[in-house]
Amino acid sequence: MNWLSDFGSFVAGRWEQLLFDSYLHVSAVVQCVVIATVVGMLLGVAVYRSPFGSAVATAVTSAILTIPSFALFGLLIPVLGLGVPPTVTVLVLYALLPIVRNTIVGLASVDSSVTDAARGIGMSRFGVLTRVELRLAWPAVLTGIRVSTQMLMGILAIAAYAKGPGLGNQIITGLSRVGSANATNAAVAGTVAIVILALVLDAVYVLIGRLTTSRGIRV
Amino acid sequence: MPDTTTAERAGFSADSGSRRSERLRLFTEPVVVLAILGAVLVWAFTGDLDDIEAREINAANILTLTWQHVQITLAVTAIVLLVAIPLGILVTRPWAKGVAPIVLGIANMGQAAPALGLLVLFFLLTQQTGFWVAVIPIAFYALLPVLRNTMVGLQQVDQSLLEAGRGIGMSRFTVLRRIEFPLAVPLMLAGLRTSLVLAVGSATLAFFIGGGGLGELIDVGYKLRRTSVLVVGAVLSAALALLVDWLGGLAEQLLGPKGLR
Amino acid sequence: MSETNTAPKPGGESDRATSGVEIRLENVTKQYGGQRHPAVDSVTMTIPAGETVVFVGPSGCGKTTTMKMINRLIEPTSGRITVGGQDVLRLNPDELRRGIGYAIQQVGLLPHLTVSQNVGLVPGLIGWDKSRIAERTEEMLDLVGLDPAEYRDRFPKQLSGGQQQRVGVARALAADPPVLLMDEPFGAVDPITRGNLQDELMRLQEEMGKTIVFVTHDFDEAVKLGDRIAVLGYQSKILQYDTPEAILANPADETVAGFVGAGAALKQLTLRRVRDIELEQLPTATAGEEPAAFAARLGGRRGAVGLVLDERGRPLRWVTRRDLDRSGSLATAGRPVEDSVDRASTLQDALEALLTADAGYAVVTRSRGQYAGVVGLDSLMGTIRALREQYEDEDGTPDGRPGDGPGGSDGGSGAAHA
Repeated sequence: MNWLSDFGSFVAGRWEQLLFDSYLHVSAVVQCVVIATVVGMLLGVAVYRSPFGSAVATAVTSAILTIPSFALFGLLIPVLGLGVPPTVTVLVLYALLPIVRNTIVGLASVDSSVTDAARGIGMSRFGVLTRVELRLAWPAVLTGIRVSTQMLMGILAIAAYAKGPGLGNQIITGLSRVGSANATNAAVAGTVAIVILALVLDAVYVLIGRLTTSRGIRV
Repeated sequence: MPDTTTAERAGFSADSGSRRSERLRLFTEPVVVLAILGAVLVWAFTGDLDDIEAREINAANILTLTWQHVQITLAVTAIVLLVAIPLGILVTRPWAKGVAPIVLGIANMGQAAPALGLLVLFFLLTQQTGFWVAVIPIAFYALLPVLRNTMVGLQQVDQSLLEAGRGIGMSRFTVLRRIEFPLAVPLMLAGLRTSLVLAVGSATLAFFIGGGGLGELIDVGYKLRRTSVLVVGAVLSAALALLVDWLGGLAEQLLGPKGLR
Repeated sequence: MSETNTAPKPGGESDRATSGVEIRLENVTKQYGGQRHPAVDSVTMTIPAGETVVFVGPSGCGKTTTMKMINRLIEPTSGRITVGGQDVLRLNPDELRRGIGYAIQQVGLLPHLTVSQNVGLVPGLIGWDKSRIAERTEEMLDLVGLDPAEYRDRFPKQLSGGQQQRVGVARALAADPPVLLMDEPFGAVDPITRGNLQDELMRLQEEMGKTIVFVTHDFDEAVKLGDRIAVLGYQSKILQYDTPEAILANPADETVAGFVGAGAALKQLTLRRVRDIELEQLPTATAGEEPAAFAARLGGRRGAVGLVLDERGRPLRWVTRRDLDRSGSLATAGRPVEDSVDRASTLQDALEALLTADAGYAVVTRSRGQYAGVVGLDSLMGTIRALREQYEDEDGTPDGRPGDGPGGSDGGSGAAHA
């Protein structure tokens, strides 16, 4: 109880800073996810008709995901410097695999009789893609976006090490002030805030899913 | 390797979910990784090294740090296997139906939390440093894939097989050992591979709390502005992660029951 | 409805070996928690050793539940079940099940084990040594018509549905259990394969004489396989428990009649063989005889029919009096005999032959094709009438006891049993 009131006063005292870090955290993640969604879907659309292209795209993006995020930050610092550029690059690269994979899987699993029918009534190739295939693949793509978002929320915490934005700074602050009264408070605030925001974002995605998925294919 | 299930696709997974790209990675990845690793090491060792670089970039130091990294990964994997598989089996027993979502919820939270946050918190709360202080939070973080896949793997076993097993006189334990477990192995292996990747990745953060590992090279190179040290650390840990993942993929191909492939 | 004697096998033509044991259910009830009515309500029945008893009824009637209580996959709430005189509730359920063969619709072959490993599961569980299991596995695969050399090392997914079910039956029989429980085992295969599997099972049972409890919702399958049929209603209530002949001839009530469905009389004809009824005789002549002489023997009755045989006594042509008047030779008179049945054919086959021949008779031949007699429409109708009377007592309700040898030689005489 004692610790809880201590923590409460810590949060109350740094309310604005925490709110600002939270805003930066979510904003960075969301922007990177948007970029990754555009890039990932373009990539998925470009390769999904070729089995070899699909295999290469998924193999490369899954290899990127395998590389430890801290190592990727390390590799990019000499090239891109500190702060926003390496952070955005790392986040976008990590977000690619789930989106690319699910775009390919989603597009490939569209029933060929549906696309044949669309072609049959005179839709153009582009029309079939945008009005039929992507609409039907969208729930799968959205799932990929959800997974990517969850992942990035955690990975962004590491960006604080390379002077990146977000709640990771609270955790790093906590670490650098070991022994001081507020070290644990800062680390707890940063970690818990990330978990809560991740859950909130997930709920937002559920909502987006309901609003953007055709009622005909909703499960 | 099983087809990607929805459960698998809905969570973080190192698995690309496509047979063809798995095969592609199985053959090309080690070659590419070893080539890049070799080139970087040759470049680092043959360059002009100042005192600081020479202190970090030498066979003894690199081997020590790599070994620490491997040890952390192995310890995490051992804990994950020892906790997640029995736990997954326990909560899928019929009498534990109510507990399963709670356990899965906690494991989900564990993974939603940032690995760095878990490490730092555990360090601050225990006021200890070293190997186990790094291993335990990383294990908690990497638990979910094996736990979730064990549960899904056991739950997806066809009820009629369990009934057939009971019907011909297998005890509950025999049904678990001879039917449920072998049929869940492919998914467990896929989960293990993901956990391994998470473990290697998080182990680069162990240096933050004095746990050693290849993250130390990256840290030293960054703080003392020695790009060569930074790159060697980053490339080594990336190579290690890719190789561990490759081994995980190999295990998936070789260890799954034959009749299912 | 219960019957306590182990009566001689109904309809049995051969004295097949009996390796099965008797199963008894006494007031067996299954009540699930939270449900007002029991799923199975106080069922009492005796399944005689070595017989195939088919539980047939609509889905959800509790027939599968009743069967599963025999090997305790479902625990009865109350009542007593004995297998071979042993109270199953006092046995260890796992050991009990190792002694009872079990085959289900989904087959349930373990996908990660080979065909031979699947078949060898139960022998392995009861501790047979490896060489004996291997030997037995080969024997069982042979028995169900799968070449061991070809199929031994295959995995289930490399087999067709029918082959999988054969392996399933081999697995159920591997440890030579006296009792076999089969839950709609042929329900998921195509009709032709199903027919083959049914024939195969009848052949196996002829050799083995196990006690088989077979659950199905297909009444035709029940008629084909069952020595006895238990028609079950809601809560596994036994609506009628009798031989297929008796149920077809005289359904206990409207529900059973509805289940028997249309064409009961035709189904009855499949249960009887030509040898079971008395053959009629027609005038015959050999092909070399003078038509006029044969005409004299046929007599002047209108519509009289005769048969022309070849020199070895095989039927050649149907002739009528008018054919004989118009023709100069018996070898070309009348119409050719196109179809004949032998003494082992079913009466349904005889009816088919009868309807395709203009003469109104089906020719019955002996083993080498010689003429033995004919079956006429009257004798077929007589048989059906007799069956109906045989399974009816004074107040028109069927009695529960199996017929005392309805397969006997009195089939055509129409004697109601005493």
